[in-house]
Amino acid sequence: MSEPGALVALYREALPQVYGYLLPRCGSVVIAEDLTAETFVAAVAAMQQGAAPDVNVAWLIGVARHKLVDHWRRQGRDERSRAIVGQPDQAVEDPWDATLDRAALHAALAELNWSQRAAITLRYVDGLRVAEVAEHLGRSVHATETLLARAKVALRRSYRRSHDD
Amino acid sequence: MTTDPLDALRLPVLPIEPRPEFADALLRRIEARPGPLDRQTATIRYFVADLEASVDFYCRLLDFEEELRPSPVFAMLYRGDLRLLLSVPGGAGAVHTLPDGTVPEPGGWNRMTLQVADLASTADSLRRHRVVFRHDIQAGIGVRTLLVEDPSGNPVELIEPAEGYHERSNR
Repeated sequence: MSEPGALVALYREALPQVYGYLLPRCGSVVIAEDLTAETFVAAVAAMQQGAAPDVNVAWLIGVARHKLVDHWRRQGRDERSRAIVGQPDQAVEDPWDATLDRAALHAALAELNWSQRAAITLRYVDGLRVAEVAEHLGRSVHATETLLARAKVALRRSYRRSHDD
Repeated sequence: MTTDPLDALRLPVLPIEPRPEFADALLRRIEARPGPLDRQTATIRYFVADLEASVDFYCRLLDFEEELRPSPVFAMLYRGDLRLLLSVPGGAGAVHTLPDGTVPEPGGWNRMTLQVADLASTADSLRRHRVVFRHDIQAGIGVRTLLVEDPSGNPVELIEPAEGYHERSNR
C-alpha cells in the first residue's frame, strides 16, 4: 500500500506520462489538463482511503483511462440531445483498405459518438482486450462486441468521407 | 492470425510535458489535500433560537460536551466523534443569512440520529425534563427509534440497535 507522499515523489516522472496519455486521446489541452488533475486528485483520494495498490505510472494511466471514459460519457449526454443522422442499423462491415492513413483515421475517430469513440480508443488505440473494454464501459462482452462492430462501420464511413475529400 | 487494419490506430504512451504553471499548480493541489476522510470529524450544524437552552439540552440530556462558546450566537459541542455546531441565525455578522435576506430557521424534518444504550430509560429521562416528543418509541428497521425536539424545535432521533442492525465494520 502506498502513502500519498509516494505520489508526490513520483509526480515529476508520472505527470508527463499521464498527460502524454490523455492529450492525444482527447485532442484538447484544456480537457487534458482537467483530466490530468482529476487523475492525480483521485489517486491521492484512493491512497488516503487505502484503496490504491503500489502506485506506479501504469496504475495512474489506468486511472486516467477511467477519467477519459467518464469524460466521454458526460459528453455523450450532451450529444444525445442532438440527432445523430446516418447511424447504421446493422453492423455490416466492408473490408478496410490494406493500409490506412493514421492521421485521417484518428480524425475520423473524433467524429464518432462517445460510446463508439471510447470503444475504438480502448480496443485499438490503447490495445485493450475486449473484456477489458467491456469492463471500462460497464457493458457485457457481447454488447461490447456489438458496439465495436458498429463503431467500426461508423469509423469506416467517417474515414472514407474525410479521406475522399 | 490476420492483422487488423485498425491496429494502425495504436498509440503508445509518449511523455508530453504539460505547461509548467499547470504542473506546479497541480502539485500544490495534491500536496495540500486534507487528511483522510475517515479521520475527519463528522460535523452537523443546527440553527437554534436560544443558545443557552440548547447547550443545556444537548449537554445535560444527550451526553454532549461543550467545547467552545465564543459568542452568544455560536457554540461547538462534541459527542464522541460527532461535532455539533449550534448557531443562532440572524445574529452579529449574520453569515448564514442569504443574499436575498432569507434567515435560516430551526425545525424541519432532517435530523441527526444518536445511538443510545437504553432507549426506554433515555425516553423516561427526556419525558421527566418535559422534552417535546414527536413520536414515542417505535420499532424501525434494524433499530428501535424515538423522535424528540430540542428547545428550538429541531428534531433529534434516538436509536437503539435491534435485530438486523447494520453498520459498516471498522476497516
